Order: sequence, then structure tokens, then C-alpha cells
Amino acid sequence: MVEPSLVLYGGPYERAMDVLEETLRETGARYALFIDRKGFVLAHKEALWAPKPPPLDSLATLVAGNAAATQALAKLLGEARFQEVVHQGERMGLYVDEAGEHALLVLVFDENAPLGKVKLYGKRAAEALARLAAEALANPPKLNLDTQYREEAKALLDELFGN
Amino acid sequence: MSTINFANREINFKIVYYGPGLSGKTTNLKWIYGKIPEGRKGEMVSLATEDERTLFFDFLPLDLGEVKGFKTRFHLYTVPGQVFYNASRKLILRGVDGIVFVADSAPNRLRANAESMRNMRENLAEYGLKVEDLPVVLQVNKRDLPDALPVEMVRAVVDPEGRFPVFEAVATEGKGVFETLKEVSRLVLARVGSGA
Ligand SMILES: Nc1nc2c(ncn2[C@@H]2O[C@H](COP(=O)(O)OP(=O)(O)OP(=O)(O)O)[C@@H](O)[C@H]2O)c(=O)[nH]1
Ligand SMILES: [Mg+2]
Repeated sequence: MVEPSLVLYGGPYERAMDVLEETLRETGARYALFIDRKGFVLAHKEALWAPKPPPLDSLATLVAGNAAATQALAKLLGEARFQEVVHQGERMGLYVDEAGEHALLVLVFDENAPLGKVKLYGKRAAEALARLAAEALANPPKLNLDTQYREEAKALLDELFGN
Repeated sequence: MSTINFANREINFKIVYYGPGLSGKTTNLKWIYGKIPEGRKGEMVSLATEDERTLFFDFLPLDLGEVKGFKTRFHLYTVPGQVFYNASRKLILRGVDGIVFVADSAPNRLRANAESMRNMRENLAEYGLKVEDLPVVLQVNKRDLPDALPVEMVRAVVDPEGRFPVFEAVATEGKGVFETLKEVSRLVLARVGSGA
């Protein structure tokens, strides 16, 4: 069970973006992210009115770490999984739901977004994204990166890390 | 395996710093963070206890730049080295592309080095991975200690077959830090497109 690479592009990517956009519209949330369980962002969308988001890398990493810990806790207690997670502060909230075995949906919302809607549409979005993820995993694209990629990358390594 | 985002034309790699408690994993990341110019790095996230021991992980995203139209990025993680944090350690290994094993040169940590390597093998096995299948670089850290053990002695307990590239380091002074990171990055990149 080596972690498969979830690669999203073309049609599935467009549809994922549509799902995220619709979810933002229906819930009034600020940001919607589709991330893999390793903590990499696969797709994300921000509401037009929303302020600049926090660093998405940090957000995705922490959510993935948190989800991994939560899943391990469920297993310890003999549960296959725990339900979605909602964190709520005074102004901001976070909704995290699993989109199948290898990905997660994250919604960041503020006090103007009704929690009921966030949960309802969050769940729907997670299900739609789970189907897209399954589809993408079943048809992995071929990546034709050759020696040229490696040579160019090597030159950049020299530049960034020194010779 | 690396995460490829065709839509945003990104390739991401996950590199994990592993090793016994206090061997200098977090110190490596802090040095890297301090030296990489703005614009080529993101925020460093550290989930640590009050006394600065890693509790869950440290995280540092680095931007290598654009290669053949693909933004190429490395996500660096450290695991918590303390023995009783194994559950967290295991989680961090998920989806790893390359490993830096940071060993401690102190004589009283020789055994901890060996145990940490064995623990890493066990944890990788849970993901169906073998150490032999992954790019692994061995960093023998704390070479500045007056009673530092010979490198070969440290190596003998963690890598008896001499399989991994070895770098000596003094992470607090940055010695060997970039050399180690560069080598693991090179090994990880070498596997792109090679079907591995
Ligand atoms: N003398 C010496 N001390 C070092 C060196 N590298 C790290 N240290 C010190 O060792 C201590 C532990 O370093 P950390 O980087 O926090 O160790 P760690 O491996 O992250 O430890 P855990 O988070 O518990 O797994 C700190 O006090 C560092 O300053 C080195 O090269 N030489
Ligand atoms: Mg640490």
C-alpha cells in the first residue's frame, strides 16, 4: 500500500474547481481547498470578497497532520473513521472532511457562514471530490519528464544550495 | 511518490528528517530556513513542546524554481525523535520521497542511533516501503563534540552495509547541512520519470 500519487488535471481538475466554487457560493465560506493526505494542495478556490488567505502550504500540512492523528485515534478506539471535524473560534472556523481514502476537503469560514450550511454542502462536496479522486487514481496521466528535467533541476539545486 | 499537480504545473517532493531525539533534526531545518532567501521558502511550522522538543513535526516548504515548465518544490519535515512519540513519527512518513537520517556522534547516543534506524524500518514497512527502495542520506551530526565517535563507528550501527551517502555535520554551525539536503534532493529528483 505504497501511497499512490493523486494527480489531478484536465477534466477532473476543472470539475474539482467547479465543486469548490459552488461550495463557496452555497456556504458563504472564504476558502475551499482540496488537498491530499500528505498535505499537498491539489486545488483551491477563494471567494472573491475574501481577504488574502494564510499560507496555504502551512494550512494544508497542519490539516493533513491533524487528520492523520484523528484517524489514528479512531483506529485506536476500534472505529473505521471519525466524522468530519469542525473547529470554531470566535470569528473563524474550519471544516475538514475526508474525500475518499487519499484526499481531504477543507473549508475556512467566518461568522457570516451558517454552520448548518457549511456542514451540509461540505459533506456533499467531499463526496463529489471523493469520486473525482477515485477517477483520477484510476487513470493516472503519464509524465514524460526525461533526463533534461533532471539536468535542469540539478542546475537549480546548485544555485539554491550552493556547489 | 511525488505529488504532481498538472493544473498548476507543480511537482512536489516530501523529504523527512529522521533520527533519535536531540540528534539535530530541527536544527537542520532552522539553519536552512535562516539561509534560504525570501521568495524561495514558505513559513516554517514547528509543533514543539515548551522545551523545544519536536512534538509532532517541523515543516518547511522550499521552492527550487521552474524546471521544464514545472514549479518544483520540496516539503521538508522532521519527526519527533523521542521514543514515545512513535505514533506521530509513523504518520509523518506517509508519502515520503526521500529521507535524511540524522545520527548523533555522542558516544552515549550510539545505541539510540541504531534503535531509531530500526524503528524507521518498521514504520516504513507499515507503508509497504523498504529503506532500500528510498533515497536515504546519512548525516553524522555533532562532529564538534570533543568525544565524538569516529564516523565509521556511527555508520556501522545504522548502515552496516554502507549503502547510504554519508555527510559529516555540525548543524548548529550549518556545516554539512546544505550538502546533505542537496544530496537527498538530487537523489529524489533522479527518480523522476525513471519509473520509480
Ligand atoms: N554540539 C552540537 N550540538 C548540536 C548540534 N546540532 C544540534 N545540536 C543541539 O542539540 C540539541 C537538540 O537539537 P534539535 O535540533 O532540537 O534535536 P532534534 O533532533 O530535533 O530533537 P527531537 O525534536 O527531540 O527529535 C539542541 O540543543 C541543539 O542546539 C551540533 O552539530 N553540535
Ligand atoms: Mg526536533
